[in-house]
Amino acid sequence: MPEWMRGARSNANGSLIDQSHESPEESSTPHQTDSSQRSLPSPHPDRSLRSAKLAALRARLSLSSKIPLQVLARALVDPSADAHPRFNNANLAFVGASLLQYHTSEWLVTRYPRLPMGILFAAMKGYAGEPALDRIARAWGVEAAAAPGEEVDPGYLQFSPDKPTVMMHKWGYARAEAKELTKYKWRRGMSSRVVFDDPFGKTIPEQTEELEVSDARNIREMIVPDTEKNAHANLVRAVIGAIYLHCGSETAKTFIKSYVLSRELDLSNLFNFKLPQRELTRLCARENFEPPVARLLSETGRLSRTPVFVVGIYSGHDMLGEAAGASLDAAKISACINALKAWYLYSPGDVGLPSDTLAEDATPWRPVYVDIGEIIS
Amino acid sequence: MTIRALEKVSVGQNGIGAFILQCRKLDVHYCNQSGSSRGMNSFIKSQLSKFASLNPQIEFAVSPRPRKHPVLIGHYINGKHKSICVKNMDSLQILKKAELLRDASGDKIKRVNKPITSINESVRGVWSPYHGNGMAV
Amino acid sequence: METRQALRPLSSLAHATSSVTRTPVFRSVASRRHQSTTSRTKKMLKIPPHPDFLIPRSGQNHIIYNPPPSAPSVFHTPFKFLPKSDPRRQANLIQLLRSSSGSHTSRGSTALPPPSRTVETRQKKYNVTREQVEEMRQLRASNPVTWSVIKLAEKFDCSPLFVMICCKASPEHKDNERQRLEAIKARWGTIRTKARDERKKRKVLLFRGAL
Repeated sequence: MPEWMRGARSNANGSLIDQSHESPEESSTPHQTDSSQRSLPSPHPDRSLRSAKLAALRARLSLSSKIPLQVLARALVDPSADAHPRFNNANLAFVGASLLQYHTSEWLVTRYPRLPMGILFAAMKGYAGEPALDRIARAWGVEAAAAPGEEVDPGYLQFSPDKPTVMMHKWGYARAEAKELTKYKWRRGMSSRVVFDDPFGKTIPEQTEELEVSDARNIREMIVPDTEKNAHANLVRAVIGAIYLHCGSETAKTFIKSYVLSRELDLSNLFNFKLPQRELTRLCARENFEPPVARLLSETGRLSRTPVFVVGIYSGHDMLGEAAGASLDAAKISACINALKAWYLYSPGDVGLPSDTLAEDATPWRPVYVDIGEIIS
Repeated sequence: MTIRALEKVSVGQNGIGAFILQCRKLDVHYCNQSGSSRGMNSFIKSQLSKFASLNPQIEFAVSPRPRKHPVLIGHYINGKHKSICVKNMDSLQILKKAELLRDASGDKIKRVNKPITSINESVRGVWSPYHGNGMAV
Repeated sequence: METRQALRPLSSLAHATSSVTRTPVFRSVASRRHQSTTSRTKKMLKIPPHPDFLIPRSGQNHIIYNPPPSAPSVFHTPFKFLPKSDPRRQANLIQLLRSSSGSHTSRGSTALPPPSRTVETRQKKYNVTREQVEEMRQLRASNPVTWSVIKLAEKFDCSPLFVMICCKASPEHKDNERQRLEAIKARWGTIRTKARDERKKRKVLLFRGAL
């Protein structure tokens, strides 16, 4: 790009930016004093105004011009690239992660009120977990810099694979027995996962010894197994955090809806049953239905090598589920599984979300269906 | 604890929820001397700035390539790139080519046989010989 | 899936009234797939539309009922599983009436398909007393070989599962049984071993609902 082009683009972008915004540039004094001696760990915030990549990224995500380019540039700096909490995305990502988890869980719980806790955790992870966020960031067309540094274009995602970073799991407690859990594989109940563990039901690893990169705030730093994934996921969270700070909660919610919740995840494929027949019997007993009976709807080739039986599970006169199988047992088990899935995947349709009432002219909250709990917990 | 969960990752489809333009960067190469770049030079002078401001999602990079034919190279989010040689074309033709690169998805060009491709489950389900009453023919 | 059965008499009635005329020629050649020319084949394979899609003689609007010939989706909640507050419950009047009238009507019982096994409809007996359980445990402890689980189940007229819930074999007996089983498994050839392994894999898939 010739210099005259570059100038024209940056002017067009620069004129939109509100210079009085609170942005890293006002806190750039430590950076400037540093730069006299050695190079900065990440690009200077002022350079973000002249980055074509950054401007293109903002337009690609259709972000509002209320979000300064400096903040977007900060969202691209992983804590592993720049340990200073005022220049990396850890704080933005923390805000973004909590918003993301809130909106995802509220959407899932109101849409599928009967999901068992384990499936809910898996669904949360499928929508808002690290692998999903990583894919989202890659679909945004963000490239990773080969190595972080001052001279890198601010439009690149910057992280370094061998330095400690921040994991986004501060919504939870490190259990006192965390060591034994990994060592002896102690059992963790679902209720304790709700209370102690992170939003995806995974234990939070014990706090490792303090690493010297941590400044006053970022305490729980560690080497993550896949830094690249973690950095991409943190970018998505940080962008959501930036939108929340500069454009408000409604815009952040719309962004989450359109980029995260609009993705496709087949919830009926998340189930792995152990005792479907017993569970269905217990369900019918709990709900005062007649006990389930397997009935043969149709069959073919009983004495052949490849028989097919279609079995329906009936409670009284109502069929709860049906399936075909190669043996009576297999058909019965999969019919039970289908019946249980039909119970668990009940959806009251498009009812409102609790966060809808946070808008200004919102209608008062009408309570939605709440399930009484799991069948066998 | 009788149900275990399997881990799956959600699948995104561009255009559902949000649309992201798949062309992320457009390289514009020209030569100051050669006659084959005459149209390209006028495209850069007269139309490129307008085209760039209309498409802020794309990063434009203009660079000279002496003694070579002018070329447009589009870089896409899926990691592929497409290049079009625009020698001896006039600026309007080059604009057409730039628009073609902008609108491309970056995928290889494939024959589309089915009118609809979808990852959603069929509303009427997969046909099964054990269901339905059939129709006497 | 329930509505289908309930509505069937209605729809079949509609068919009778609509009285589709079919060419007799068509029926006679239905077993053949092709004719000697393309146009004849196409003509032969031209199937009249489903009677539900035809406009009835009276020319009035009518409901097209054409249920999918496929296994129902799990996202289609059965009527019984809908909570009381769900509006779909009130909308489905036929089901609502049927569920309120209860299972006493004779009409429903005749329509039910047969149970897949006889054990499905077996009533639980709860016939084993506490003393009998004690006796069962003594017998099992005294000689687990002669008083096997099956034998005890026959003696006390209960299920083998109940015997296994009540009694616990000694570790020596368990060890013997395990060794006996391993000796049997050691005699298996490659084909049988592979078949058993694949059976295990199929079972895993079955419980995931992937089979």
